[in-house]
Amino acid sequence: MLSRTAERVYWLGRFLERAENTARLMLVRHQAILDLPKEVQPGWEILLDVLGAHENFAALPGVANEKNIISYVFGERDNPSSIISSLTSARENMRTTREILPSETWERVNSLYLSVARRSTKDLPRGMRHSVLNNIVQSSQQITGLLAGSMNHDAAYQFIRLGRNLERADMSTRIIDAASAGLMGDEEYIIPFRNVLWISVLQSLSAYQMYRLNVQRNVSPQDVLGFLFQSPVFPRAVAHCLGEIEHSVELLPDNPPVLKAVVKVRRKLQSKDFSDQQGAALHDFIDELQIQLEDVHRAISNAWFSPGES
Amino acid sequence: MVQSGIKSPQPYARMKARSTIDWNQYEPGEFYDEIISHSGRARPATRSLVAFIRKQTIKHLVSRQHAADLAIQEMGITFTVYSEGQNIDRSWPMDIIPRIIPLQEWRILEEGLIQRLTALNMFIDDIYNKQQILKDNIVPRDIINSSPEFLKECVGAKPRYGVWSHICGSDLVRDSDGTVYVLEDNLRVPSGVSYMLENRAISKRVLPQLFDRNSILPVADYPSQLFDMLVSLSPRAIKHPEIVVMTPGVFNSAYFEHAYLAQRMGAELVEGADLVVGSDDKVYMKTIRGLAPVDVIYRRINDDFLDPDVFRPESTLGTPGLFRAWRKGNVGLANAPGAGVADDKVIYTFVPAIIKYYLDQDPIIPNVPSFLCVNSKHRKYVLENLANMVVKPANESGGYGMLVGPASSKKERALFAELIKKNPRNYMAQPALKLSTAPTLCGNHIEPRHLDLRPFVLQGKNHYVTAGGLTRVALRKGSLVVNSSQGGGSKDTWIVDTEAS
Repeated sequence: MLSRTAERVYWLGRFLERAENTARLMLVRHQAILDLPKEVQPGWEILLDVLGAHENFAALPGVANEKNIISYVFGERDNPSSIISSLTSARENMRTTREILPSETWERVNSLYLSVARRSTKDLPRGMRHSVLNNIVQSSQQITGLLAGSMNHDAAYQFIRLGRNLERADMSTRIIDAASAGLMGDEEYIIPFRNVLWISVLQSLSAYQMYRLNVQRNVSPQDVLGFLFQSPVFPRAVAHCLGEIEHSVELLPDNPPVLKAVVKVRRKLQSKDFSDQQGAALHDFIDELQIQLEDVHRAISNAWFSPGES
Repeated sequence: MVQSGIKSPQPYARMKARSTIDWNQYEPGEFYDEIISHSGRARPATRSLVAFIRKQTIKHLVSRQHAADLAIQEMGITFTVYSEGQNIDRSWPMDIIPRIIPLQEWRILEEGLIQRLTALNMFIDDIYNKQQILKDNIVPRDIINSSPEFLKECVGAKPRYGVWSHICGSDLVRDSDGTVYVLEDNLRVPSGVSYMLENRAISKRVLPQLFDRNSILPVADYPSQLFDMLVSLSPRAIKHPEIVVMTPGVFNSAYFEHAYLAQRMGAELVEGADLVVGSDDKVYMKTIRGLAPVDVIYRRINDDFLDPDVFRPESTLGTPGLFRAWRKGNVGLANAPGAGVADDKVIYTFVPAIIKYYLDQDPIIPNVPSFLCVNSKHRKYVLENLANMVVKPANESGGYGMLVGPASSKKERALFAELIKKNPRNYMAQPALKLSTAPTLCGNHIEPRHLDLRPFVLQGKNHYVTAGGLTRVALRKGSLVVNSSQGGGSKDTWIVDTEAS
């Protein structure tokens, strides 16, 4: 398999996952409006926090209200982390590798892109949000399913899987980081809603039902964090993503340096105790974790994308 | 079968005459129409198509056309046009009404195409080796010496089987008397074959009923024929040589096709930077397992850009050392560098003589009568008759830099007269042919539109001709320009066996 092709399908996996996760995040934020009194609702800015897009947004003329943030995160092509930008990159990476991918997947990615592109020039009013965002999540799931069910599970597939899981792990840490920032304080007005808020964190990762099944206790911060970071069975948990990455890496040639980087993050995660996590300490931990995930990316790139250049 | 002439509609059609298609409204005029004869009847091979359309309402046909357009969009069948300094990705335009050629006629054309490519390859091999045809004064030496497509670097090269142009796309047109001519040969990197294949896939999707009623030759085996031909060029006698398709990249107008063919052949799609030539003068590609040997390159990149060590030094699209590897016989290149020397539009005028010289045969498919502007008598005639001529530069493709006399303004003709006088070697002219037409869905009407045909011919160890080819159609009324970059469309092309049932 060509190094360049490997790199492109890896990014295809990442960008598709990023678009899906961003859509999930917006969906949950959208639903939270319906559950919570205004003063406890996390601001729309939380979307910008998760995507690390605060500075870029602030440089624009619009005020940070619901309408502008939604447009910016959904359809702004100048925002590299918007859904439309992720889908554009996913499509472009796929367009240049379609010779190795099942042709139905290209048709799905292309039509997902076209539907979002048509929508992206307009506002996304509350009444339409659910169906538009849900369509992105479902299409993305469908594409993942098509790849899993109709593509050879060869090296190309492993690179897509690597991209998907690394992006998912990274997004999960971002979502936990941004969401928990507002939850750790002891402000009196938050306390009655703390459960609902933690539930919404779980929901943004589609984790609520699985959490209940798995943890079988009430919602508590340390249990939620433990589940989202360390669960080996929940597919959006960071530990599970790392397990998937490790499995893919093992199937690829010349893997020892990459394996080493993956095992390092996994160990760090496993030994972590979340029972006494305070706001700042948790944030620092997540920061370190993200740096190590970045190291995994770099190891992948050195091992397979630029032969003879490292 | 009773002649179901369109002037005597069947009772069913009469009953619904108001809403269904009335062929009596269809007027191809002085042109040869591929579907409807001068007497207004369906041609023998097109009867079931004509009868089928007669039973449809225009609304239904338009809805089928929309279904086709949508499928094309979703399948991402695109081509890229350059306009105002930008690359725009457009959906491939295809008219749903197929163009039909009877099998008996096709067999003759097929033979003619093989004859032509065989002779052209002998010519190229001769030009780069003994130059016997120049010594025998069949083709003037000046024309070769002044051809920018003649690459002195290729002199003495001996590609396998003596074949230089392995994939050829010749454009065929039909004049008003029904004669089919070769308009030009594309011996370098002809494109369009993927659209031929996709057009068939689309028409099977949107008009499946028609396939039951006709015996239509399938087109789908082209990629495997291409693959086998490429395998026959491998310098290593191994069971599974490594075949790659080399593309200039995603910004090339034919990128869709490069990816498509690589996919259909199960070959790697590479860019110049993915390849390296080792100190052993062999070609390798960069893979996740390190460097892997490459045996044959189907290159879709022009000679100029192939190897910066030999041709344009600033090119970043090619691979340094590639030409050297080819000269040493370490890699197969299709098509071989320098093959373009034979698709110069001036050399075109010598093709009948070339066929006679090498094969001692008369050409099966004639050339369009042509005037070489470098010849002063011809030039005078061309300049006096510009309004009735099509003037072409010797080395352009895609319909760029052409003058279509009957459609030109006085100012354009004056400009071309100047161009011709300044550089006569660079121009040839042909009388504007009355290109044949076929019924085409134009908005809410079926109207005749002019078309041509580009079949694809393969030559390696063996020959192969596609069953039909890509029919390109000028969508603007009266226009003769069929190039997709200039507003042309396409049709699925059916070779129909009227003797099978």
